Amino acid sequence: MARSRRSRRTLTVIVLLVLSLSLISLDQNGRTHSLTSGIKSVANDVYSPLRQGVLDVFSPIGNFFAGAFNYGSVQAQNERLQRTIGQMRASQLEQGFEKSQLREITALQNLPFLQSLPTVTAETVDSYSSNFTATITLDKGRDDGVDVGYPVVGAGGLVGQVIQSFHHTAVVQLVTDGQSKVGVTFGSTNQYTGIVDGQGPTSSMTADLVAPHTPLQKGEPMYTSSLDAAAFPPGIPVATVRSFHTSAGASQETIHVDPAADLSQLAYVDVVQWVPKQ
Amino acid sequence: MTGRSMLRVTLVIFIVLMVQQTAMLALRIGGAHPDLLWLLPITAALLDGPETGAIVGFWSGLAFDLVLPTPFGLSALVGCVLGYAVGSLTKAADPRATWLKPVAAAAGSVGADMLFAVLGAILGQGEMVKVNFVSVILVVGLSSVILVLPVSRLMRWALAGEGNRRSLAPVRSESRAW
Repeated sequence: MARSRRSRRTLTVIVLLVLSLSLISLDQNGRTHSLTSGIKSVANDVYSPLRQGVLDVFSPIGNFFAGAFNYGSVQAQNERLQRTIGQMRASQLEQGFEKSQLREITALQNLPFLQSLPTVTAETVDSYSSNFTATITLDKGRDDGVDVGYPVVGAGGLVGQVIQSFHHTAVVQLVTDGQSKVGVTFGSTNQYTGIVDGQGPTSSMTADLVAPHTPLQKGEPMYTSSLDAAAFPPGIPVATVRSFHTSAGASQETIHVDPAADLSQLAYVDVVQWVPKQ
Repeated sequence: MTGRSMLRVTLVIFIVLMVQQTAMLALRIGGAHPDLLWLLPITAALLDGPETGAIVGFWSGLAFDLVLPTPFGLSALVGCVLGYAVGSLTKAADPRATWLKPVAAAAGSVGADMLFAVLGAILGQGEMVKVNFVSVILVVGLSSVILVLPVSRLMRWALAGEGNRRSLAPVRSESRAW
């Protein structure tokens, strides 16, 4: 009796393990990935409104207490934001002429200009849903024109790239994610190139493949490169230099960089409908 | 597991999924947030043994796989292994010992997270091992010790119809804290 119960238990566990491994294989296989992606897409269509409903019920309660306890700092933050908006308005007016000149030059060189590309504005509904990935979820998906591979910008620079797109939601891999790699140019005439590598959600990013002793400055910006078949349109701020040094005998400079975009302020972002040249 | 228990377990998985994806994601400390998912197979295994632990681990993992950006099926695999391991390793322990739940919750959750990251890296998601493991271990371990009590209460309700069995047997009121 005890033996049969034990063998039944072992069989159940083996079946479940085989099932799990089969699902993983289906997901990893390029030909059957669309099947698991489809299941996830349908599940997200059901889950997103439910989750939003829960948030709609509980958020006002949380916001009430947060507002009551942090009233002073919220007011100070509001004043700072108003001042920043004023400065940005003035700066925007000044840049109008420069932008039109840049648009003409980039058009002459057959380069895409970010502000001439169509974008979809999306709201962030979820962030860092796993402890092991740096991702955000947007409230726009395939039905809204958001597809896999599209760059996402906002909060001062490149935010990341769409890696999963469902009917009404999409998952964006942030530039800080360990899997993220972005080709960049920098220097006074953008003469230097490198690759900005994400090192995980809690570690600083690095810029790799930069020749030893390349002249750099703290705070120097790095932009997406304009190389053919690049995954991003050129000229988007990606990162700023935090620290750099060249170790004796090293084949490349060690550079630590910070994301140009403020990744803690991603309530709204723009998805750029950009497909790299083949 | 009876049909009634299955329905109740499904409801508990849904509640925990919602709490995880709303309240827990907002509680990020040092880049990590509490992970309620692993508490489902741990509490099921403690209450009803390794088989139920594995079954609950598989289905709860699958539910989380639907909304996580990680490989589909990975949480189900880890949940299944975790439920079976916790049920088997604690078989000899007194189910009413006060230390059992917190220790199983902390060790099980941290172990499951490590296994999850390593398997993810093997499956080509190298970024999953590029995280600050110290903060993940501390946040997940400590939060699991606290949150195992309400989750255990929910799972006890869900598995109430199961006759087998360990800590589900009627107990005297003074020892029935959870």
